[in-house]
Amino acid sequence: MTTAAPATGTTTAARVVDAVKVYGTGDTEVRALDGVSVGFPAGRFTAIMGPSGSGKSTLMHCAAGLDTLTSGTAFIGGTDLGALDDRRLTLLRRRRIGFVFQAFNLLPTLTVAENITLPMDLAGERPDRTRLDAIIDTVGLRDRLHHRPSELSGGQQQRVAVARAFAGDPDVVFADEPTGNLDSRAGQEVLRLLGRTVRQTGRTVVMVTHDPVAAAHADEVVFLADGRLVDRMPDPTAERVLDRLKAFEPAPSTQGAP
Amino acid sequence: MTSTRASVRISLSSLRAHRRRFVGTLTAVLLGVSFLTGTLVMGDTLRASFVALFGNAAGGTDAVVRSTNVVTVSGESEGTRQPVSTGLAQRIGQLPQVAAAAPDIQGAGQLIGADGEPIGGQGPPTLAGNWIDDPKLNPYRLAEGHAPSAPGEVVVNRGTADKGGLKIGDTTVLRTPDPVRVTVVGLATFGGEDGMAQVTYTGMTLADAERHLTPKPGQASGIQVRAGPGTSQQELVDALRPVLPPDTEAITGQASAAEDQDMISGAFLSLFTTLLLVFSGIVLLVATFSIHNTFAIVVAQRTRENALLRALGASRRQILGSTLTEAGIVGVTASAAGLAAGIAIAAGLQALFPAIGFPFPDGSLVISGVSMLLPLAVGVVVCIGSALVPAVHAGRTAPLAALRETAVDDSAASRTRAVTGLLLLLASVGVIMTGVLADPSVWLSAVGAVLALAAFVVLGPVASTCAVRVLGAPLGRLRGATGHLARRNALRSPKRTASTATALMIGVAVVSLFTVFGASLKATMNQTVDRSFAGDLAISAPAFGAGGSGLSPRLAPAVDRLPDVATAVGLGKGVAEVNGSGRALTVTDPAALAAVLDLGKVDGSMKALGTNGIAVSDTEADKLGLRTGSTTRLTFTDGKERTFTVRAVYGQPELAGDYVITRQAWAPHRGQDSDSLVAVSFKDGVSAADGRSAVEKAAAAYGNPEVQSRGEYAQSSAGGIDMMLTLVYALLALAVLIALLGIANTLTLAIHERTRELGLLRAVGQTRKQLRAMVRWESVLVATFGTAGGLLLGGFLGWVLVKASEGAGDTAFAFALAPARLLVVALVGITAGALAGWRPARRAARLDVLRAIATD
Repeated sequence: MTTAAPATGTTTAARVVDAVKVYGTGDTEVRALDGVSVGFPAGRFTAIMGPSGSGKSTLMHCAAGLDTLTSGTAFIGGTDLGALDDRRLTLLRRRRIGFVFQAFNLLPTLTVAENITLPMDLAGERPDRTRLDAIIDTVGLRDRLHHRPSELSGGQQQRVAVARAFAGDPDVVFADEPTGNLDSRAGQEVLRLLGRTVRQTGRTVVMVTHDPVAAAHADEVVFLADGRLVDRMPDPTAERVLDRLKAFEPAPSTQGAP
Repeated sequence: MTSTRASVRISLSSLRAHRRRFVGTLTAVLLGVSFLTGTLVMGDTLRASFVALFGNAAGGTDAVVRSTNVVTVSGESEGTRQPVSTGLAQRIGQLPQVAAAAPDIQGAGQLIGADGEPIGGQGPPTLAGNWIDDPKLNPYRLAEGHAPSAPGEVVVNRGTADKGGLKIGDTTVLRTPDPVRVTVVGLATFGGEDGMAQVTYTGMTLADAERHLTPKPGQASGIQVRAGPGTSQQELVDALRPVLPPDTEAITGQASAAEDQDMISGAFLSLFTTLLLVFSGIVLLVATFSIHNTFAIVVAQRTRENALLRALGASRRQILGSTLTEAGIVGVTASAAGLAAGIAIAAGLQALFPAIGFPFPDGSLVISGVSMLLPLAVGVVVCIGSALVPAVHAGRTAPLAALRETAVDDSAASRTRAVTGLLLLLASVGVIMTGVLADPSVWLSAVGAVLALAAFVVLGPVASTCAVRVLGAPLGRLRGATGHLARRNALRSPKRTASTATALMIGVAVVSLFTVFGASLKATMNQTVDRSFAGDLAISAPAFGAGGSGLSPRLAPAVDRLPDVATAVGLGKGVAEVNGSGRALTVTDPAALAAVLDLGKVDGSMKALGTNGIAVSDTEADKLGLRTGSTTRLTFTDGKERTFTVRAVYGQPELAGDYVITRQAWAPHRGQDSDSLVAVSFKDGVSAADGRSAVEKAAAAYGNPEVQSRGEYAQSSAGGIDMMLTLVYALLALAVLIALLGIANTLTLAIHERTRELGLLRAVGQTRKQLRAMVRWESVLVATFGTAGGLLLGGFLGWVLVKASEGAGDTAFAFALAPARLLVVALVGITAGALAGWRPARRAARLDVLRAIATD
């Protein structure tokens, strides 16, 4: 709590401080995160980018309480995730975090409506009807509420996942390559949905992606390479992101921070 | 050649990779095969031991002389034979070929132990006879003390003495059934053991035996003969034949021993091994369903792998071959292990039996080729047979399936299945109704029962959707999202849910069937006593055939003389051939019978049967075409044929039996005399307690038999049924255990399949506890479905069995559902379901969230 947030002035919905994540030991040791400190401001849409193996997924998993750090701390709002046991962490994910994964976002046995309210159902809470209605209308799936996921297209399935992520009014929504399995048109639709939700209702979204076009929908892009934070880019466009990524390619490991 | 080798290599590597998945299958086959092996080995060993035992025991007897007049009542293992004269032994002894000849008197005699309780008598015979001094002619050997020489002296086999706490020098009572005071002067062994299984033996002097065990002195059951040196058994028999009186025969000692063996193996061992074989069949049937399910799931999970192999050029035959090889390897491994376990079980039982007081003859285990090959073959066939359909499915995998997302078969039940199942059900109900109601036949009912089982199996998937929806309905409300998800999971693959539950269903069905049948038997006995027993007290003792020595015929008159007693009537047993076939007769005082038994509608009079009158039940009368006033011929064991006139035809033969004659009519033909029941009614105004204590006091002088009220009498008649049920439950516990292993196995495989789903659930906020509960509730739902189906099927088949028995046996049979017991069965089934889900639930909860959501 005493450590100053890197992004000052605005509140941060989620942040990591000196995050280190090591997999394996000895010869097989891999440092997926090597001392990353980054905050994700509330009410903003942030994209995490980097070449494969840069640690961007690991960063997201640790920030979202799906994985634990080897050292360093991760916060959701003011809560130190490292201090929570598995049960409290699960309850935190249920109440304060929304998730959109690349694929397999929905339970095949549940209807669309049941999938959307799943986290609240698990908590045994009644969903807020007005907020739920608003979200269902935003994602445009009112006529599909009683269908099974297998009856929906890939794009529709991802929109259901987006609706579920926002339905519980979470502090932050983490999206892991949400458009990775979609064609470009369906992907665009999902990204616009994420952006629109952030801007219209002041939500916070953190998205991991390797696609510059997807990243361009964000308010800011943070670049990771070799487990380190190497750059931040406000108001990105696809071309600028692409250029920045190209800069990693010649000798990514020795270049260091710009 | 090479293609086969590829199949084998593929199956071996896949077995290695998925060892865990086959643990359940292996266990199921192993348990089934070991049960089967154990049964076969134990049966063979027991049989061999008995052969050795009789061989040893009868080793010195070269010939047996006995009467040819014998009456065998159907259903009894040994006929009643006319005695021979003891004087015959002396005559035979003078033949040059004969070294020794001794009369052999065999009768019933139940010893009273040091604690005042009778020893044995719960089935195995309580034998008494004359102690034969020639050690070669006597199967019993004196181990301690001396042979009986004075009146009242007896030798007892050591097992009996130990059980009754009797020592040499002790004085006790022998019920023959008249109480005889005896003193134990010696202890004997039989073939080196403390006794012949649970049979009790008392040897007395020849004079005592003639006095107490035969109707008149000078009679013996047979003559044991030993040949002189150089005379073979057959030569001895040939030499005996000319000196024998008419209606007497001589058989070799070997033939006699073979008859005894046949009796034991026929009556006791066959029943015992058949029962066990039936249960191993049930266990293996249950195992088959479990195994089939495992293979079906494994093949489904491997669709992509198989499709890849197909795409790379593997032929259908190779894929099919590799799956079947896999099943074969599992079958052979498990069966071999089961074989070893089965032999170990038999060895363990051999060691255990003596410890619980059942002298199991020494000798090595007999492991025949059949008891090796049969279980092995059954195990392998069960495995390969169960894998056949899944293997064919595997062979049909389209190469393109490699490109698709792995799809688990979640198709609902097809219309064909529903129609086939319903037709089967209709057919079974039709056949059963015909077999039960229209034209009573046990066989037709059995065919119907098999059809009903098939219908239930076929209809399983159709019913599972519906049933799980209904059974699981309260779950969502009670357990929220967790319950809701569990219900949905149980619903997602109706075929799998059904076949998992089927194994349990069969186990529970058999349990319920026996529960219902047992309860009905008990109810029937209660009803019989209720309907037919009009007295206040019953004094009963197991008769000779049932392991006791019966009641003294002098007890009834003694009780009848008591001031509190209005009537006391003794019922004894006789045998005779009526119209050429052996029948049991009830020997009693027919005139007084109506005071203590309700005989139903009586046509004619029971009052004056005399020495040539007989009363017949209406069913037997109908069969033989007899009416009041008509005559019939009875042939007794002494070869005498007498004409009897039917004086009465009565309606209720349940306690009175089918034929009633007077003591006077029976007396000339009788053997050792005994009653099996004395029915007592009090005078008006006598209280139950007063009457009872008076009767008990009087009975004490007659070997202290048990005096029971009507209710107690009804209960003790049904006592054996609870023992049988306990045995059946113990045997079926194994089948239920295998079914539960099947549920656990299916769940484990399902969890493997749903890794990503479980990861997602954990990510969006399902706690470990909720996840565990979700898996357990799914298990409970499947188990509940199986249990419910089993209760339904078992209850129905129980009813069928009761009705079919009633139709086949001419006796009224009560049907009792035993709701309390069935409720216990249901609770056990459901609880066991929760237990089966325990391990899979724990494994699921340990799942790493990241691995689950990241896997591709």
